[in-house]
Amino acid sequence: MDEQELIKRLRQGDKGALETVIKLHHAFLVAMATPLVGNDLADDVAQETWLRAFAAIGKFEGRSKLRTWLARIAINEAHAMRRKTGREVSLDGWGSDTGSPIGARFNEQGAWNAPPTQWHHETPDELLTEAELYECIHKHLHKLPEDQQSVVMMRELGGLDYGEIARALNLAEGNIRVLLHRGRQRMHAMLNHFEEVGTC
Amino acid sequence: MLTCREMSELGSDIIEGDLRLSTRWAVFMHLKMCPRCTLYIKQLKLTAAVLQQLPLNTEAVDSAAILEKLQERDK
Repeated sequence: MDEQELIKRLRQGDKGALETVIKLHHAFLVAMATPLVGNDLADDVAQETWLRAFAAIGKFEGRSKLRTWLARIAINEAHAMRRKTGREVSLDGWGSDTGSPIGARFNEQGAWNAPPTQWHHETPDELLTEAELYECIHKHLHKLPEDQQSVVMMRELGGLDYGEIARALNLAEGNIRVLLHRGRQRMHAMLNHFEEVGTC
Repeated sequence: MLTCREMSELGSDIIEGDLRLSTRWAVFMHLKMCPRCTLYIKQLKLTAAVLQQLPLNTEAVDSAAILEKLQERDK
């Protein structure tokens, strides 16, 4: 079922569509909310998000992806939850640059010592349909430093813009850009290793 | 003249088209003569695209139970 069809059915209150959309995005919403409210409240944020979203689905204009719209609602719900519970989650140390994860692959003149190799897979579909690689991507996404993981989730999986992410995490846009780049570089290094060696 | 290391640092700005005009020209010139960086930037773009399409643990989510819980709360 494509997204337009799914939204149409959600507007009709189709139970199957409600279950489908929860299956598709619930884990993302929980993962995204965790750094904002903590582990124990993240699921509550996701549930509040669903209640709001299902009540307002008629107003969703489809200008963004559904997941991006849900992510925006979840961030608002996370802020509301923090106000309600008086909970402050410490993000101390977030946003500092850990440096390039591929620095050792260049010589002193800044040229490649260990250049990237040609990959066997050329498209996202090809990469994601290989079961072992799919598991490996998940594993390494969760192994990213927390701040990089959070920004990668919000930007790549959630489709939020830099300003929205910066406000949600109370960091400068410049920090968000650096965190995203470092996260992408680490994930690239993981994919490159898999393509070279054939294992995670 | 940009080095390959500097090109790798600019990677996300390159794939998102977020470069100032002067830097854009330097990047263009570097890419024209450096297949290694061309490959790196192409793969970084593919990495971002993979993450954008990545489904997240759909098997582990009991959507029927969540929906039931939501309906209880909504009553």
